[in-house]
Amino acid sequence: MVQMTINGKVVKAPDGEMLLTVIRRQGIDVPALCDHAAVEPCGSCRMCLVEITREDWNGWKKYVTSCLYPSENGLIVSTHTPELQEIRRNIMDLYLARCPGSELVQKMAEEYGLTRTSYKTIPEGDNCIMCYACTRICEVLGRNAISAVHRGHAKVISGPFDDPPPDCIGCLSCANICPTDVIEWHDQDGTRAIWGRTFDLISCRQCGKGIITRDFAEYLKEKRQIPADYFEICDDCKRVELARKMGGLVDLAKEVAS
Amino acid sequence: MTYRYTVNPSRCTGCRTCELACAFTHTQEQKPGRSRIYPIAYGPDRFVPVTCLQCDDASCVKSCLFDALKRNETTGAIELDKDRCVNCRACVAACPFGCALVDDVHDQVVKCDLCGGSPACARFCPTKALEYKRIA
Repeated sequence: MVQMTINGKVVKAPDGEMLLTVIRRQGIDVPALCDHAAVEPCGSCRMCLVEITREDWNGWKKYVTSCLYPSENGLIVSTHTPELQEIRRNIMDLYLARCPGSELVQKMAEEYGLTRTSYKTIPEGDNCIMCYACTRICEVLGRNAISAVHRGHAKVISGPFDDPPPDCIGCLSCANICPTDVIEWHDQDGTRAIWGRTFDLISCRQCGKGIITRDFAEYLKEKRQIPADYFEICDDCKRVELARKMGGLVDLAKEVAS
Repeated sequence: MTYRYTVNPSRCTGCRTCELACAFTHTQEQKPGRSRIYPIAYGPDRFVPVTCLQCDDASCVKSCLFDALKRNETTGAIELDKDRCVNCRACVAACPFGCALVDDVHDQVVKCDLCGGSPACARFCPTKALEYKRIA
């Protein structure tokens, strides 16, 4: 355990735990766009910046991304100084220029009193904030299907060589984790389209409802040894099936007893 | 102390009190459709309250690629960590009993967590078809 001071309060935390986790546990709301519990932090959104200093630093201080800075003894952390709020406001101003269509960005910018950006909006902007949440979750999944391609202004998240990703299994983890909802997908007639690819959805044997993609089921079967027949019926029909089977046993037990 | 959640379908009258208790406890809304337990009729006036059986070797836990589902050793329930869940629906597809559900209102995966050690369905069940008993 280490001892730190956060906003004037003495706080104990496990050695090496990231500052953002410790700060949030104290009930202090530090904004972040790229943070998610299931993925490794990467410090790309810059919103979780905090000011750190130590007694032996003689008044010297620095700004660090709290999601990437490990706790250490004697750290003095401030989370909402006027300078930090100014930095966060400027970052939101830039995000607003890059992603004018994102509801989350608009909402967060409003908290800093911004309704429109003071910069020039990117005309062909796509609302992607380049936080890499999608590529990081794909990495955790073990597929690494998508990553950043091209350089500079042309940088986008896509499959290798900006082609449809061959390793994608259509699980939608990337689309669901995306903070600005830019990853487009749709289910139609038993197929799912995402990243320029079309996947076959397994349809429930009984009601025809789409369950998950065949590739995803295949991957779960191979990686986590889930029997393939578990994926053939949808959850609604499985519950009815369970009631029928359990009910059969109850009736049988009653018959035997009488 | 070890507790076990038991379902005794022969005592179930299909009154659906458990559904309401569950929905209200978890969502603060009296909408039975948002429950984690469903009494399903398998014959005239014969019901089975279908809910998560907290399997020992659970498919949902095995299928979760993000470690969002973990067993709470105190209550015995498999709990869903909402912060880690990315809604990939692997557990929904993998559960052989269909008891990892999708809350349509929030489009999010939900499952029975035994209310953290005091299941509302068992407390409200008038016929004791649902019980949460101490076994050791």
